[in-house]
Amino acid sequence: MSRLICPFCGPRELREFEFHKTLPNAGHTPFEQVYLRVDSLTLSVEHWQHIAGCRAWLHIERNPSTGEVLVCRLARSEGVS
Amino acid sequence: MKGPMPHYSALALLRARFQGAGFWKPLWTGRTLQDAYDVVVVGAGGHGLATAYHLARDYGLKVAVLERRLVGYGNVGRNTTIVRSNYLLPENHYFYEDSLRRWEKLSSVLNYNVMYSPRGVVDLCLNDGDMIAAARRGNAMRLAGIDSELMELEALERFAPELATRGNRRFPIVGALVQRRGGTVRHDAVAWGYARAATAFGADIIENCDVQGLRTEAGVVIGVETTRGFVKANRVLFATAGHTGMVGTMIGLPLPIETHLLQAMVTEPIKPLINSVLIYGHPGHGETYILQSDRGGIVMGGHLDGFPSYTREGQWHRLEDVVQGAVDMLPQIGGLRILRQWAGTNDMTMDGSPIMDRIKYDNVFLNAGWCYGGFKTIPASGAACAQLVATGTAPDIARGFRLSRFATGHMLDERGDGPFPVRL
Repeated sequence: MSRLICPFCGPRELREFEFHKTLPNAGHTPFEQVYLRVDSLTLSVEHWQHIAGCRAWLHIERNPSTGEVLVCRLARSEGVS
Repeated sequence: MKGPMPHYSALALLRARFQGAGFWKPLWTGRTLQDAYDVVVVGAGGHGLATAYHLARDYGLKVAVLERRLVGYGNVGRNTTIVRSNYLLPENHYFYEDSLRRWEKLSSVLNYNVMYSPRGVVDLCLNDGDMIAAARRGNAMRLAGIDSELMELEALERFAPELATRGNRRFPIVGALVQRRGGTVRHDAVAWGYARAATAFGADIIENCDVQGLRTEAGVVIGVETTRGFVKANRVLFATAGHTGMVGTMIGLPLPIETHLLQAMVTEPIKPLINSVLIYGHPGHGETYILQSDRGGIVMGGHLDGFPSYTREGQWHRLEDVVQGAVDMLPQIGGLRILRQWAGTNDMTMDGSPIMDRIKYDNVFLNAGWCYGGFKTIPASGAACAQLVATGTAPDIARGFRLSRFATGHMLDERGDGPFPVRL
């Protein structure tokens, strides 16, 4: 995983992107959403931003054991702005 | 030291000279898995081995250390060997200081040379703001009786003459916070020394034994399921830093931990150049810490890679950041070639401080979340965690590391930047 494919800019170096956070997956209370994680060896769902490019917010799903990017799309497309 | 291991001393070395290779025995034995134990420790890294050693020595318990791979395969063999106790918060600096005091004596306690080298840890300051923050941290440490020295430029130049402090620098170095007792310890020797000492007190170290779950009976844990069958245990300790998130998933307990990568690298060996451990926070490209190994290689590391990963392969852009910082600090090493680069998985907690507590069941304990401070706390953590597991109560210096602090709001947020596992 040394590049991400931005929906606007195409394949770009990883340095241009900034990891923002892992999406909550441990429950619905604010405490669970902010602090707790259910860890997985095969799936991590995250928000990133193309900070040194078009600055789009991205929804990314990755396999943290291999670094493979499974999904990279605009976060906006699921109602997150 | 009792048991089958020879006691190492100058006299013993002399005897070994005449006795030949027969003197040298394997460092640890006891590889047969028994059916039942007082305590099963999961993970034969620094913390697991140190805890097993104290459980066997101080409390006379029958201990097994179960390791998925090999002794010292994880972060105890992947860190940059730095030990220090220059932390701001009391809960942290008393604990890290307890550890530093144990490092000073560890070679004789374990009868194994861990090569503690108090060469000084130098936190460089680049502006007035850095100096003010360093003075605050240094004063907090001095109030706790921990050595710390705020150096202005002239004193720093005498202490670390190799630094490029003069000339036309974009970010001039103006001073440093120095802890002289900080330094390095040979990391592999720590794992081997604790493994040797633990087995001398009767602990069994079982490698290639993957723990796959807990077995409960009427809501009480009675042992662990492993790839080598069921092992009965009165108490279970998880000391699995780097994969604690997976332990949480395995036992159905979401934890305030994410797993991130930290990488390090070493250059070809050169003659002695760097006297101390230099830490350099650069506004342009993050952090670099740098030291020279006893073999002469320049060891460097920096920030986390910045996103959750189990791959153990560092990202190129972070390597670039680290090297840029190093060359900025010491332009004379710019021509060196990097021989090796590696990464370790870190338990990053939501406040940057560790967790040492009972979890979910009465007889299950967790020693985890050491972020990037795991190596330097091994001796203190072993003693404190053994007390927790043996008596059910952690010693006062580890009381702040309870898991419940995240729910009650008693965070130990050393960096003061909120509930994030990583902030670059």
